[in-house]
Amino acid sequence: MTAPAQRTDEPAPAAMSLRGLVKHFDTRLAVCQLSLEVPAGSFYGLLGPNGAGKTTTLSMAVGLLRPDAGQALLLGHDVWADPAAAKARLGVLPDGVRLFDRLTGPELLAYQGLLRGMDAATVDQRARELLEVLELGADNRTLVVDYSAGMKKKIGLACALLHAPRLLVLDEPFEAVDPVSAALIRDILQRYVAGGGTVVFSSHVMEVVERLCDHVAIMSDGVLRMHGTLAAVRGGRSLEEVFVQVVGGRVATGSELAWL
Amino acid sequence: MAVTPAVPILPFVRLKLRLTANGLRGRPARIVFFVLGVLAGGFLAVAGYAGFAVPGLLGDERVAGMLLPLGGAGLVLGWLFFPLVFFGVDESLDPARFALLPLRRRTLIAGLFTAATAGIPALSTLVATAGMVDTAARLGGPLAAVAELVGVVGGLALCVAVSRSVTSAFAGALRSRRARDLATVLLAVVAALLGPLQLLVLAGAQRADWNTVAAVAKVIAWTPLGAPYSLGLDVAAGRPWAVPLKLLIVLAAVAGLVWWWSATLERAMLGAASGSRRAATGPADARAPSDRLLLRRLPRSRFGALVAREMRYWWREARRRAALITFSVVGLFLPVSLAVAGGGVGGAVLFVGSMAAMPLANQFAYEGNAYAANMIAGVPGRVEVHSRAAAHAIHVIPLLTMIAVVLGLVAGPPSSIPSRLGLLLAAYGVGLGLVLPLSVRAAYALPETTNPFAMSSGGGTAKGLLTLGVLLGAVIGTLPLQVVAYFLGTIWLWIGLPTGVAYGVAAYLIGSGAAGDLLDRRMPEVLAAVTPNRS
Repeated sequence: MTAPAQRTDEPAPAAMSLRGLVKHFDTRLAVCQLSLEVPAGSFYGLLGPNGAGKTTTLSMAVGLLRPDAGQALLLGHDVWADPAAAKARLGVLPDGVRLFDRLTGPELLAYQGLLRGMDAATVDQRARELLEVLELGADNRTLVVDYSAGMKKKIGLACALLHAPRLLVLDEPFEAVDPVSAALIRDILQRYVAGGGTVVFSSHVMEVVERLCDHVAIMSDGVLRMHGTLAAVRGGRSLEEVFVQVVGGRVATGSELAWL
Repeated sequence: MAVTPAVPILPFVRLKLRLTANGLRGRPARIVFFVLGVLAGGFLAVAGYAGFAVPGLLGDERVAGMLLPLGGAGLVLGWLFFPLVFFGVDESLDPARFALLPLRRRTLIAGLFTAATAGIPALSTLVATAGMVDTAARLGGPLAAVAELVGVVGGLALCVAVSRSVTSAFAGALRSRRARDLATVLLAVVAALLGPLQLLVLAGAQRADWNTVAAVAKVIAWTPLGAPYSLGLDVAAGRPWAVPLKLLIVLAAVAGLVWWWSATLERAMLGAASGSRRAATGPADARAPSDRLLLRRLPRSRFGALVAREMRYWWREARRRAALITFSVVGLFLPVSLAVAGGGVGGAVLFVGSMAAMPLANQFAYEGNAYAANMIAGVPGRVEVHSRAAAHAIHVIPLLTMIAVVLGLVAGPPSSIPSRLGLLLAAYGVGLGLVLPLSVRAAYALPETTNPFAMSSGGGTAKGLLTLGVLLGAVIGTLPLQVVAYFLGTIWLWIGLPTGVAYGVAAYLIGSGAAGDLLDRRMPEVLAAVTPNRS
């Protein structure tokens, strides 16, 4: 495989660029002045404890949630000023968002493909291939609503990949996925990045992030605490150590929960 | 364990009130709707009280003997039909959520039942029927008043039991696809019951034959519908022996309904834990994915895909299915029964045509926040709105045609079929024109239950009232055409269809254009509005 020339040190244009994003819910500040550059061709992990604002940030980045202030650029296009151009080469796997789950898997993929303006023959061919690879069954007639949680994640990922985007934004892609499927998804994503694509995904599982990512950002309470290449963020320690220290977690002393 | 208190009910009521209050917190729009709902409920309560107190003020036992049982029966029927046709039941206390708690069924039923009475509809019903106590007191003194009070409270229990059990049973029936034909038949029977009732009322009013009405009232007073509301009158008229008998009738009815409700509830709770999932498949389907999505004549394009998905949803999603079935039954039976009664059909035609568009009033909420997929794919607002309207029209226009044909055969000369179809389509177009912007502007989340009649707590009833307002607006908006039709006479039979279609299409284009542009500006807001709050 001929490696694309994007892995050199010269500054490539950012695949995703967030500038001063702010979001309030009622009186609570969910995301505060968040700025982040995701280099093209990187595998970017967004880490944070529950309620840190990961989903809120990613929702604003892909145009699902209107920020109170700030800008989000995808592949150089402002997602709010020029949504059509920004979303054309974007694939998203949202978390906590329902799919059109009264369709069967194949129907859902056909729907997504045609929605993206692809011709039917390409849609059919790619949909079949994705369903085979992800072991969802190209002839399956089960409605997506009756899928298991892991299968739903996989069909959601297939929807995001179908139109061969240049930027993938995945919210908790490994949640509820069994280890075999998780390994499969990891392979697919690594191949995708090797081919020049960019992946941004959120997680709170350190091992996955450590194994996959070349860049990491850690956020908590709506604020970006640390970001950079994995090596720079880690600084010789394990990622988990850095994470717990940055987020300010506590360790059980042993005197509480004695009744357990 | 013997430590558990007898039947703890209060926590259920507190939970319900707390849920209602929390649903309002920090949401000004919902507070406004809630206040509107309270005002409407208060108005109806006061008006009802005044109405039911009139016979007492007049000192007229005969009028009281007609008004109280008939009015009470009307109330009970209202509790039966309104949740089915318009509002849905407030399912803030979803029975399925209690499935894992160690509660005995009796406790659960008692708690849910009491909680159901803690709401605006129940309160305003109670206040309105208190007017009957007033009347009874004036006619028969304190003893009659006490009897009537007991009756009124029993009547409220009957109302709540009727609405809960029937909606719960229907929800169970519509949940499985196999049972939906059965549900259609059942709804048809229910709607068919409306017909004879209308005939009776209309016939009575036309002939002003109060003797007939009084006789009917006397009979109804011995059925569960009217019995609770005639207790005081029996005391006043010197028939105290009737009171225990009628009380027995009411109690038996309530007990029967609650028993039915608890049976269906059990099934609903089990369904939430395991069953209800239609077991997968049947034979494998080897067609290409896009052929499976698209119906044969749809274009293989973005628009085709959107329409195909919407059409599938009208059948595969319980709420939408319920809306379609209810519309087809009411749309057919209402004008036909009016026609059989010899009344004018014109107004009903406009009503039915406008009503056809109403299921789209909250169209984005049917699939939860799945609309996000279309936003990510960057579907423009107008394409979105047109595709949804097209998929709905593909289902509804054949229905409207059928209604016009049946009406032409039953009521009017068959030559009036095309022009009447014109009026129906015009009303449908105007309805769409009004409803589409509303669906973008006033979307609200529906709870994620399998009960197609469930409404979210808080703004639910008020939003239902908003839809009623739009329905009225659509009827008024089509009225000019009806007037023209009246004056043109025979000519209208010829030009009715093209004129109606043109009128409807024009209204639709204006409304859908506005809705599409509005959607382009408000996509994230619509998505946020239809996302059920998970807490």
